[in-house]
Amino acid sequence: MPQMKVMYIKEHTLVAPDIRRMVLDDSIYARPGQFVQISVSPTLDPFLRRPLSVHDDGEGGLVLLYRASGRGTRLLAEKKPGDSVDILGPLGNGFPVTDAPAAILVAGGIGVAPLCYLARTLCEAGKQVIFLFGAQKADQLYIPKAITPFLTVLETATDDGSAGHHGPVTEVLEQFLQKGAVPVYGCGPEGMLRAMVRVAAQYYAQTYVSLEARMACGVGACLGCVVETFQNSGEAYQRVCVDGPVFSGEEVFR
Amino acid sequence: MNPDLTVNIGRLTMQNPVMPASGCFGYGEEYAPFFDLSRLGAIVVKGTTAEPCSGNHPVRLAETPAGLLNAIGLQNPGVKAAREKIRELAHCGVPVIVNVAGHSAEDYLRVIDFLEEEEEAAAYEVNISCPNVSAGGMAFGTEPCVVESLVGNLRRSTKKTLIVKLSPNVTDITEIARAAESAGADAVSLINTLLGMAIDTATRRPVLANITGGLSGPAIKPVALRMVWQVSSAVKIPVIGMGGITGARDALEFLLAGASAVAIGAANFTNPMVCPETVDGIADYLSENGFESVSRIVGLAKESLRPVTGGVCGCGKK
Ligand SMILES: Cc1cc2nc3c(=O)[nH]c(=O)nc-3n(C[C@H](O)[C@H](O)[C@H](O)COP(=O)(O)OP(=O)(O)OC[C@H]3O[C@@H](n4cnc5c(N)ncnc54)[C@H](O)[C@@H]3O)c2cc1C
Ligand SMILES: Cc1cc2nc3c(=O)[nH]c(=O)nc-3n(C[C@H](O)[C@H](O)[C@H](O)COP(=O)(O)O)c2cc1C
Ligand code: FES
Repeated sequence: MPQMKVMYIKEHTLVAPDIRRMVLDDSIYARPGQFVQISVSPTLDPFLRRPLSVHDDGEGGLVLLYRASGRGTRLLAEKKPGDSVDILGPLGNGFPVTDAPAAILVAGGIGVAPLCYLARTLCEAGKQVIFLFGAQKADQLYIPKAITPFLTVLETATDDGSAGHHGPVTEVLEQFLQKGAVPVYGCGPEGMLRAMVRVAAQYYAQTYVSLEARMACGVGACLGCVVETFQNSGEAYQRVCVDGPVFSGEEVFR
Repeated sequence: MNPDLTVNIGRLTMQNPVMPASGCFGYGEEYAPFFDLSRLGAIVVKGTTAEPCSGNHPVRLAETPAGLLNAIGLQNPGVKAAREKIRELAHCGVPVIVNVAGHSAEDYLRVIDFLEEEEEAAAYEVNISCPNVSAGGMAFGTEPCVVESLVGNLRRSTKKTLIVKLSPNVTDITEIARAAESAGADAVSLINTLLGMAIDTATRRPVLANITGGLSGPAIKPVALRMVWQVSSAVKIPVIGMGGITGARDALEFLLAGASAVAIGAANFTNPMVCPETVDGIADYLSENGFESVSRIVGLAKESLRPVTGGVCGCGKK
């Protein structure tokens, strides 16, 4: 059940260029892949809340990882430890956990945010976690040190070759799928997710993608955030905020 | 003593003057985790059409200064499936007002015929003002003679409270309001969204797939308030005011301007508790200022003035 909660910022640090990590003083009991709607300003402008993924949650409090890109996230970036933020959540369906003994997680840029929490959860459930992280260049490959013990494999890729594999992260994905088809979870730019679903389909691997959409309510009431999905019954619009943000790959990419 | 918040609109009695606006509250279930829905005066559900409607392509939303553009395009499951949701919602004990939409007069009639025997549908709000559908919608709401004939038709088909929702995208909203009144509407509600658009300078394309959308939120409040003031002077039937209300202060402005009740739309998205908070805020204001009932303040801002019958011209003079 989502709640509206005022929380206090315990830590707020710049961890990579434009990327901040915000630790809050309370938990919302979220599952990996769920998100929150955070109010960036107490005034009427900017008007809407901003959707941000749960980067971690639990006894240490709710953690968010975000890139300050536009006006709203830049206002958020100005907040200091001790300041309060108004959070609506947890929202959305979250990533499904399958019976498979291993999983491949594919992160593109800031899409790494929800996958860290998933990695921890899968590892704690006794599964092998293969974590593939692609970004434009090396300085955007932020991965919290606390996460690395949960990863069986961590491979990186950059568009400019400044770290890891030189080229798209989906090329690394292919190498791992050749060794065995396990469920693939992705979050990142749409182009990357499409390529990921296409590659995984060649190996008959199940895919789960976390999508972004412009949102107003975040709770399923306004029908503003829809994505076109392809199902047995034909095409239909589904709400990213409640029917997603996680969809199976073949449901949204054709 | 607690002030009396009761409001009567046609045959409908509401325990207080606050309701969520159509399209901004789903079928209620989405907001049930946040507060007890029985605290509302009424609940207005999403625009309902005779057949299911898939709505517009995304992108459907664009944030604008202190506001929001939407082009949902009346996505709804059709009146048959909506009936189940309405029955479910009615369990919370407050009247459910069904927002009725269509592309032709027959469409509206089909929705009303289908729901007429349903006790759970307490009233109809006829949406003659949606800016996001190409045929019908707003086209009905901009011509007084068309409004009169449509509303007249609907009036003859229903015994329930008939509210006509007006578009602000017209030259003279009072003309449309009078047409609805003379055709037998029990009330008018206003305003629906203002037609607008936004362009993404990075892609150099309109943000909304539909190109244009309807503007709501705090940005439209002064326009909405002015129209409520004018319409409540032009008609004798009750006015339900809306447009940019984010709390009790805003709601009180609409009541003082002449609205008998208010609806809250986009503000639910930022504050899911805005409706019950507004109910409490209105009650507090009435007690603090010694009013025994909410009806005592309806239109009170006009009392000290000479009656305003005409509009305000472009230069701001009466
Ligand atoms: C479910 C979900 C989870 C997300 N998780 C994260 C995360 O963990 N970390 C992170 O950095 N970003 C995340 N995003 C993207 C984040 O919501 C946007 O970067 C943010 O809304 C931009 O706001 P702004 O005011 O800075 O930008 P502006 O461009 O000024 O925003 C204008 C409007 O567009 C919306 N908008 C702009 N870009 C996006 C976008 N990419 N997705 C959705 N709405 C957008 C804004 O919410 C706002 O309503 C997520 C998005 C979704 C839908
Ligand atoms: C996302 C969204 C969907 C809406 N859908 C409808 C609708 O189906 N029927 C209708 O009559 N009005 C609809 N409206 C208009 C609102 O009911 C209301 O008239 C308008 O938004 C102004 O109020 P506000 O500023 O408080 O939002 C919608 C508004 C929004 C923001
Ligand atoms: S954001 Fe309102 S339905 Fe998804």
